[in-house]
Amino acid sequence: MIEVRGIAHSFDRGNGKEALPVLNGISMTIGDGEFVSFLGPSGCGKTTLLRIIDGLLQPASGEIRIDGAVVRRPAADRAMVFQEFNLLPWRTALKNIELGLELLDVRPAERRGRAEEALHYVGLDKFAKFYPHQLSGGMKQRIGLARALATNPKYLLMDEPFGALDPLVRELLQIDLLKLLEEQSRTIVFVTHSVDEAVFLSDRIVLFRSHPGEILSTIDIDLPKRRWANDEEIKASPEFVHHRQQIWHLLKEQMRRVE
Amino acid sequence: MLVFLFAWEASVRWGGVSPLFLSSPSGVAMRMFHVFADGSIWPNILATANVAAWGAFLAVAVGVPVGVLMGRSLLLRDVLEPFIIAVAAAPIVAFLPLLIIWLGIGATSKIALVFIGSVFVIVINTEAGVRQIDRRLVETARSFTATEMEVLWKIVLPAALPFIVAGMRLAIARVLIMVVVAEFFAATVGLGYMIFQAGSQYDTTLVFVGVVILAGTGVILNALLRAAERRIAPWMHTAETTE
Repeated sequence: MIEVRGIAHSFDRGNGKEALPVLNGISMTIGDGEFVSFLGPSGCGKTTLLRIIDGLLQPASGEIRIDGAVVRRPAADRAMVFQEFNLLPWRTALKNIELGLELLDVRPAERRGRAEEALHYVGLDKFAKFYPHQLSGGMKQRIGLARALATNPKYLLMDEPFGALDPLVRELLQIDLLKLLEEQSRTIVFVTHSVDEAVFLSDRIVLFRSHPGEILSTIDIDLPKRRWANDEEIKASPEFVHHRQQIWHLLKEQMRRVE
Repeated sequence: MLVFLFAWEASVRWGGVSPLFLSSPSGVAMRMFHVFADGSIWPNILATANVAAWGAFLAVAVGVPVGVLMGRSLLLRDVLEPFIIAVAAAPIVAFLPLLIIWLGIGATSKIALVFIGSVFVIVINTEAGVRQIDRRLVETARSFTATEMEVLWKIVLPAALPFIVAGMRLAIARVLIMVVVAEFFAATVGLGYMIFQAGSQYDTTLVFVGVVILAGTGVILNALLRAAERRIAPWMHTAETTE
């Protein structure tokens, strides 16, 4: 369980300027096995909050508790997937997947096996020896996902993971992600600014407003399970359309205020 | 290249240019064969190679760590940068008399000159390589619980390696210049000494033998390091350098 308690954060702008508030009074609880999306316009601090949950960033005030313990730094029970993939260009796909395992001091003998297994999960067995510059964007992000999954994290933190991909590949990866999560149950925190993506993937959506980032609303998505098996019907269903409309309505008002 | 060699040969053979002034490709080739065959060239090559190798080795052994530290610490960079720039701009050969006073006329003073003359190229390139690192890669490693040392070994050094090799490539020419100049002034053996002696005896052919060996070494080392650059950094079309 992830408990977010009264998080506030601001960015120092330097040379005496007033600090820029990015997050204010954020509290929520994310239960085990949940798929929660942070949705909001850019500048609402959703990525910052994800980094705070991971432990990459210490909040100005408030605290994150994961399974009861306060987060002070990144740990093995969490793994991140990044928008820009962040693969090491000098390593092959397989060696990239091994990076997380190396840093967690997994023995070399075990490392190779777990990396190959993760590569298999994302369907890229044949590309083990390829370098990132030889792979498409979608493949790179599959490797990024495999790198995170290989460490067997309880919590998977995804920072706009499909944001840099073209729309068709993006929908394909959404389906594959849900399929994958059916086989291995994990708690997901997913940052996105796509309404459709959030509705299709999530059990619950946390809507953010910007400047400073605050929680606007929390919406439970009561679409059926196994959405990946019939994604076309789901996306055309009245429930999906309703959620989409409801969320866009809330966001639109907020964005009008700012723009 | 062939045209150039032919023109050179022709100018000496039929063009009335004195062989004393220009020698000739065939003369140089004959002489080259000769000095290798009778072994008289080897002590000179070994002496020069010894100085060049030690000087270059020390330049890399010192230059890379200093470059990495400067790339990772703004404070260190601000402290060291004026010295690096001063050394880079100074006519380094002018240090030679000082080095001879301090270190004597043996190999040590020459190694020191080679070191001073090439180390800053390594430092500057290493620093540039460390500085251009994608911060997102460092953050990625941190999110997988990397320590500072792990970031250095698994992210910073591999990312900077193409720049370090490019720095080594740029340093080759400087190493060769420094070793030859040092041997002009303070040596009893070595290619630089041999060239200087041959020059003072108007043995133009032997001067060219020395120059060809040095230039050939430079070209071969450069090609090897270029190949290494392509091998270690296939994702970069050409490694950027700062010189």
